[in-house]
Amino acid sequence: MPPREGTYGLLAEFDTPGDLVRAARQARQDGWRRLDCYTPYPVEEAAEAIGFHRDKVPLLCLIGGLLGGAAMFALETWISVLAYPINVAGRPTYSWPAFIVPAYEWTILWAGLSAAFGMLALNGLPALYHPLFNAPNFRDGATTDKFFLCLEALDPKFDLAESKAYLENFRPVSVVEVEY
Amino acid sequence: MAHESHAQTHAKTLPADLGAPALVDGWRNRALVVGVIFTVIAVILAFLGQSQDPEHLGWDHFLRGWTMGLMLTFGFSVGGLALLMVQYCSGGKYGLLLRRPLEAMSRTLPLVFGYWVVTAIFMKRLYLWAQFKGDADTAAAVKAGILTEIQKHCIDFKRPMLNPFAFVWVSVLCFAIWGFYTWRLNALALKRDAQGPETTPFWIKKFENISGLGIVIYAVTMTAASIYWVMSMDPTWFSTVYGLLYLVEQGFQVLALGIIVTLALSKAEPIRTLLRQTEQHDLGKLTFAFVMLNIYLAFGQFLIIWSGNLPNEINWYLDRIRGSWGVIITLDFIFHWLIPFSVLLSRDIKRNKKRLTFVCQIMIFAVAFNQFWLIEPSFHDAARNLHFSWGILEYVAVPIAMMAFWIAYFCTRLKTRPLVQVNDPHLAEILEPEHAHA
Repeated sequence: MPPREGTYGLLAEFDTPGDLVRAARQARQDGWRRLDCYTPYPVEEAAEAIGFHRDKVPLLCLIGGLLGGAAMFALETWISVLAYPINVAGRPTYSWPAFIVPAYEWTILWAGLSAAFGMLALNGLPALYHPLFNAPNFRDGATTDKFFLCLEALDPKFDLAESKAYLENFRPVSVVEVEY
Repeated sequence: MAHESHAQTHAKTLPADLGAPALVDGWRNRALVVGVIFTVIAVILAFLGQSQDPEHLGWDHFLRGWTMGLMLTFGFSVGGLALLMVQYCSGGKYGLLLRRPLEAMSRTLPLVFGYWVVTAIFMKRLYLWAQFKGDADTAAAVKAGILTEIQKHCIDFKRPMLNPFAFVWVSVLCFAIWGFYTWRLNALALKRDAQGPETTPFWIKKFENISGLGIVIYAVTMTAASIYWVMSMDPTWFSTVYGLLYLVEQGFQVLALGIIVTLALSKAEPIRTLLRQTEQHDLGKLTFAFVMLNIYLAFGQFLIIWSGNLPNEINWYLDRIRGSWGVIITLDFIFHWLIPFSVLLSRDIKRNKKRLTFVCQIMIFAVAFNQFWLIEPSFHDAARNLHFSWGILEYVAVPIAMMAFWIAYFCTRLKTRPLVQVNDPHLAEILEPEHAHA
């Protein structure tokens, strides 16, 4: 694939999450679909405002947890019943209460790992490059105290001059054009 | 700052009338009707059970059901006080919504004390150790076949602690301590509201200081009460985690009731304005933590005793597993952990008022069900032998009646104060729109 060129989108900067959410909600309502919010901490309302849809992380987490628990329980059962049966104080070799704790630990471990790595994978991370980092105010503010709304050039409604004026309506701190 | 001006322009306004809405009167009236009906049913069942061959245990079952009702209402009352203190120490916006319901729960203590007095009066029918005055009595009982050697040994050995005098005075002391904290926190809360915002930092510190020590004292007194009132029904057994189990159970039931009450109150002002989904979600998450903590301790106790398999410990579990009791503990596991855990995992359900209320109702039922499993097998006639008698239905009738009267009392307590504390920085925060929770 040849490297992309031209405009990635228009980036509006806001000082408060409230302003961002209102701008994002309005943009979505006005028919924008290729748009994204960038905030220094999770702002759930921003996700809702741009038509956030359900993702598969909870499902991955659940499957990971169940598989982890089942795997450890099966391992313990196999060791105690088949591979190395041993008489512990006359208890049956299949002594499930003793298996619960490691199985539980593995449930948590695998649920956690599946959620974390599943989230990264579904986000397309790790990524080596993202055009937004071309904007200096984004580099400085996106992880500290600024809230950004980006209208992407891929959206059919996108027009450099008109969209810029549209974003100015929301009275952002600034609107900048971002190159690929 | 832009953020502040924004928050002010979009914040909701606090309703003028912060008092409890009229629907609380409706709850109270309904609770009173239920209470009266189930009192009648309980008395009828006691007579039926008393006339039933061969056990004639109607009134004994009535008292056992009474103990269950005592533990439930005690859990709401003193557990409410405990969660109030925890909340004063930990802070959190969710807590502001619960504070007045929790205060109202704590102020039901006189009724719980009344319930306890009945238990104390009929001590001899509930506690084996209360029937024997000294070593000579127990020796005679062994000869007569009333006690086993092991029971005799345990009762004699534990007599310095398990005797009617200690039972009454330890319990009264505990009630006095809980009463003191209830009075202090409730009185100061009104004083706090009467003063201006410049006093807020002082009050936050003040409540923290009272509650911090209060939580520690609560843990100790709670342990004593649960040992005397329930664990000692079987004088041969002991578990060091028992008090903690009851403590977590109280958090479990108080949060469940707190959520039910808050969501029900949100049908009318002022809570309709004050309850945001964020706080409802937080309450759901906290409840989920208690569901987990409860199974952790309950299973931990079982695993340790199962591993040790010692004759002085394992019998307590065998009494509660064999003879069809296994069915009860399996159901208990399902109601107490499996259902709340699986359901509360879901974010959507925690944010849905109807469904969250339903889960909380199941949780409160589970707490009662668990009490049945703890109490009934402590008695010789029921240990390793789950069987039907009219009397066993007292475990439904008596606690429902007691709970109903407790709820009626709780509603009157709830009516006496505004539903939200105004001298608190969290109030401005929960009036902000949800996306401004920075």
